[in-house]
Amino acid sequence: MESTQTTQLPAGGATLVDEVDLTPVRTYWQLVRQRFVRHRLAVIAFFLMAILITAAIAIPFLTGTAWRETSLERINQPASLTAPFGYDNLGINTFVRLMKGLQTSLFIGLAAVVVIVFIGVTVGAMAGYFGGWIDNALMRMVDIVLSIPTFFLILMLVAFWGTGNAWVIIIAIGLTGWTTAARLVRAEFLSLREADFVQAARALGARDRRIVMRHMIPSAMAPVVVAATLGIADSVVVEAALSYLGFGITPPEASLGNMLTKAQDYFYRDPLLAWYPGITLVLVVLAASFLGDGLRDALDPRQRVEAA
Amino acid sequence: MARYVLRRLIQAIPILIGISVIAFFIVYLAPGDPFDRFRSNKVSPEVIANLRRVYGLDQPLPVQFYKWFTTFWTFPWDNTAWGYSITDGLPVRDKIFERIPSTLQLMGTSLLLTVVIAIPVGILGAVKQYSIADKVIAVVATIGYALPTFWLGLILRQIFAQQLDLFPLFGKYSFGKEGDLLDLLWHLFLPALTITVVGVAGWSRYMRASMLEVLRADYIRTAKAKGLASSRVIFKHALRNALIPIVTLLGLTIPSLLAGAAITETVFSWPGLGFLGVSSVSERDYPVVLAFAMIGGAMVIVGNLLADILYAVVDPRIKY
Amino acid sequence: MTQRATDGGELLAVDGLRTHFYTQDGVVKAVDGISFAIRHGETLGVVGESGCGKSITALSVMRLIERPGKIVEGTIRLAGRDLLRFSDEEMRDVRGNAISMIFQEPMTSLNPVYTCGDQIGETISLHEGIPRREATDRAVEMLGQVGIPDAKRRAREFPHQLSGGMRQRVMIAMALSTNPELLIADEPTTALDVTIQAQILELMKALRERNRMAIMLITHDLGVIAEMADDVVVMYAGKIVEAADVNTVFERPHHPYAKGLLASLPRMGERRTRLEVIQGVVPNPLNLPSGCLFMRRCRYAMPVCATPPPLQEIAAGHLSRCWLTPAGEPPAIGPDATADVALEAAAALSVAP
Repeated sequence: MESTQTTQLPAGGATLVDEVDLTPVRTYWQLVRQRFVRHRLAVIAFFLMAILITAAIAIPFLTGTAWRETSLERINQPASLTAPFGYDNLGINTFVRLMKGLQTSLFIGLAAVVVIVFIGVTVGAMAGYFGGWIDNALMRMVDIVLSIPTFFLILMLVAFWGTGNAWVIIIAIGLTGWTTAARLVRAEFLSLREADFVQAARALGARDRRIVMRHMIPSAMAPVVVAATLGIADSVVVEAALSYLGFGITPPEASLGNMLTKAQDYFYRDPLLAWYPGITLVLVVLAASFLGDGLRDALDPRQRVEAA
Repeated sequence: MARYVLRRLIQAIPILIGISVIAFFIVYLAPGDPFDRFRSNKVSPEVIANLRRVYGLDQPLPVQFYKWFTTFWTFPWDNTAWGYSITDGLPVRDKIFERIPSTLQLMGTSLLLTVVIAIPVGILGAVKQYSIADKVIAVVATIGYALPTFWLGLILRQIFAQQLDLFPLFGKYSFGKEGDLLDLLWHLFLPALTITVVGVAGWSRYMRASMLEVLRADYIRTAKAKGLASSRVIFKHALRNALIPIVTLLGLTIPSLLAGAAITETVFSWPGLGFLGVSSVSERDYPVVLAFAMIGGAMVIVGNLLADILYAVVDPRIKY
Repeated sequence: MTQRATDGGELLAVDGLRTHFYTQDGVVKAVDGISFAIRHGETLGVVGESGCGKSITALSVMRLIERPGKIVEGTIRLAGRDLLRFSDEEMRDVRGNAISMIFQEPMTSLNPVYTCGDQIGETISLHEGIPRREATDRAVEMLGQVGIPDAKRRAREFPHQLSGGMRQRVMIAMALSTNPELLIADEPTTALDVTIQAQILELMKALRERNRMAIMLITHDLGVIAEMADDVVVMYAGKIVEAADVNTVFERPHHPYAKGLLASLPRMGERRTRLEVIQGVVPNPLNLPSGCLFMRRCRYAMPVCATPPPLQEIAAGHLSRCWLTPAGEPPAIGPDATADVALEAAAALSVAP
């Protein structure tokens, strides 16, 4: 950080041009990345998440339908190279099924978050930008959605409208989870509305929609990104709970949740069965949580000075 | 303040109406009906039609809604106000009220334990920031927080009840021991532990964060500049301020207690409200489900209101 | 603790104080070799821009520096005893008792959940061992002394119920309630309206008179210095660049920075279209330049400035950290003079480090 400065001094009497601070200048994204990389845990989480996602895509792809292929001969066979966790009571390769379950759970979690972000950003942006009665009406809606106990509502939606249907689950989680994102976006918009660059855009004659889409939404996205990442963790757990209780993804489809139900039933054959999907689930939650924390610090650094 | 509370309660009415409409239509517009279970070759269609008539399911939806909504509020004195359960024909209100004590026992114990453990842990983490203790606590708390409640319950049950046979497998009392306090506690232990572990993980983090923020404040610097001992600074000046958001959060988590209880109660077959809620959904016991939605909604509203009232009580800056 | 001498003996003597902050981006030498003294009953003004280290100096005296900061060198003698060697308990005895401090933001410097009377009473009760009841009565008395009307009622109120000026009075009451020998005031009026500012300064002067109290007054406002201070110390980038009594500093500033500060003050009756400014910006503390820290903004910059000048006594009781002669001329050592020659010339004139 030390820079050696050899300066040419003018002859006495002349004043110098304004000082240039020679610490290197960085762009916004470089700063973000720099701050992110400082959090070792967040970086580990990033790689962990990458590994999980890759495994969830690759292994089912490579093994095709193996995750549901039953086989009388392989019932309860112990672990082997191609079956690190052995075979279950139907002769299905537990590891392969686990990966398929991970794929399902991750897919639902991510898709639900997409829905959440979509609804949340739209509602929040409208409320924050237009204000007035639109804002009031939308916030009333938020209040009502928030007033219904979330899990119970999701349970009702899924149980009555589509047990075992991934899309129903996604929509149910999405419809109940958008409130936080909406509030965040609304708050950002309320303050951004009066910001200079928005006024400038208006002065240049830009239409409302253009202002919102091109200028305001990008600024408001930071907290939403954080909330979305953390939301992945919640969504995956909700899906797992639903499947465990029998309302979500049902066998023969695979989900981390319904593997736990089976594990409970077949406890006496293999107590470890409850651990595989459980640990996987915990890993997903941990990865998403640390990633979210790291992103939050990277994107919004009101950091105190930390000891070296 | 009284006027504020009244105003909030009045504001709650449209919300409750909104909830009732949403819940009602989710339930009754859904494909299938509660009697699907009963349909088989042995049961004639007339019996089913009769059942439908008895439960009022043959009427147009708005009429059903109207009937249900208007009788709903008579529940304090009329135990049929919430209808009859389709599963066992008992008055819904009785079924629900009967379960309340069990849930209160579970949630009350868990909440108490959580608070008693989480607050000191959080304070410790904040005061000794960056120390080994803090790092250990942070790691443990993060892992604890990431554990899905139902999985933790499942594992605990597997290890301590099934494998080691130290605790009972399910229920609230062993046969013939109803009313025995020790037996109750023995059954209560694992489910309460499950909820407490996850609870402590979360609350200790809030406490630590709140404490850290308070410790950075100017008035703490003033307190130190006055020559106060650090225990005084922490426990008199900082803690009182740090507890403010915690206390209000407590009010807000009351409704989620019900949800958390639901899953844990199901894992341990603890006969509480949550268990009833889940089983009523799986059995399509519509009257019970609806009553649940309303209770849940009411609890959320009360919880929010409680949070705001507590806030005004503990923070002298707030006046309604 | 000490005899309250009004003979002008030294109450506080700081010598070679260095307080550094070990941050993730590097070491910040917030205070880098400061020495000064305050005599009983006298007011020392500490002037400088934001970030020059004046607040850190005050916090160092109170030993309120926390991670990642650390006092790495120096002595701070209070009536002869080095505070840096005091145990925690001894230090707590000093704080709020022999030395009191008031801060810039009265809004946030008082605990919002306790009443004003409670907070003042706490200090009194702690240091004088009297029961809370009595302490609260004394607190009400103090509030009256600092000019708060209806003191009894105010004592039962919370900080948010008072205006900014009143809150600062409460802080002063709290600080003075134990009759300290030294009051450290860190920008006490900066956050207040100008009219309130005047009132607070009057109050401080009156109390100073009455209690024979020494004051270390930290501010960037030269007007306040002119009104309150007996002696002045000018700080820049963690070092003292000029020190003298207040009249000398205002009439005969020597260091180019001090000169620049005074020149930038608009004066009544002047007709100007532009204000005088000091070119450039304060150096980045993580990336301090070599040589004299002010060199790059200085209109007198000379080749010899590549060697940082020591603090020299250019006249009786007047110190300046600059190679210019006491008369303000470039030193007669030739444009290519090496550091040694410069230092020799300096040694010929100087006393100080």
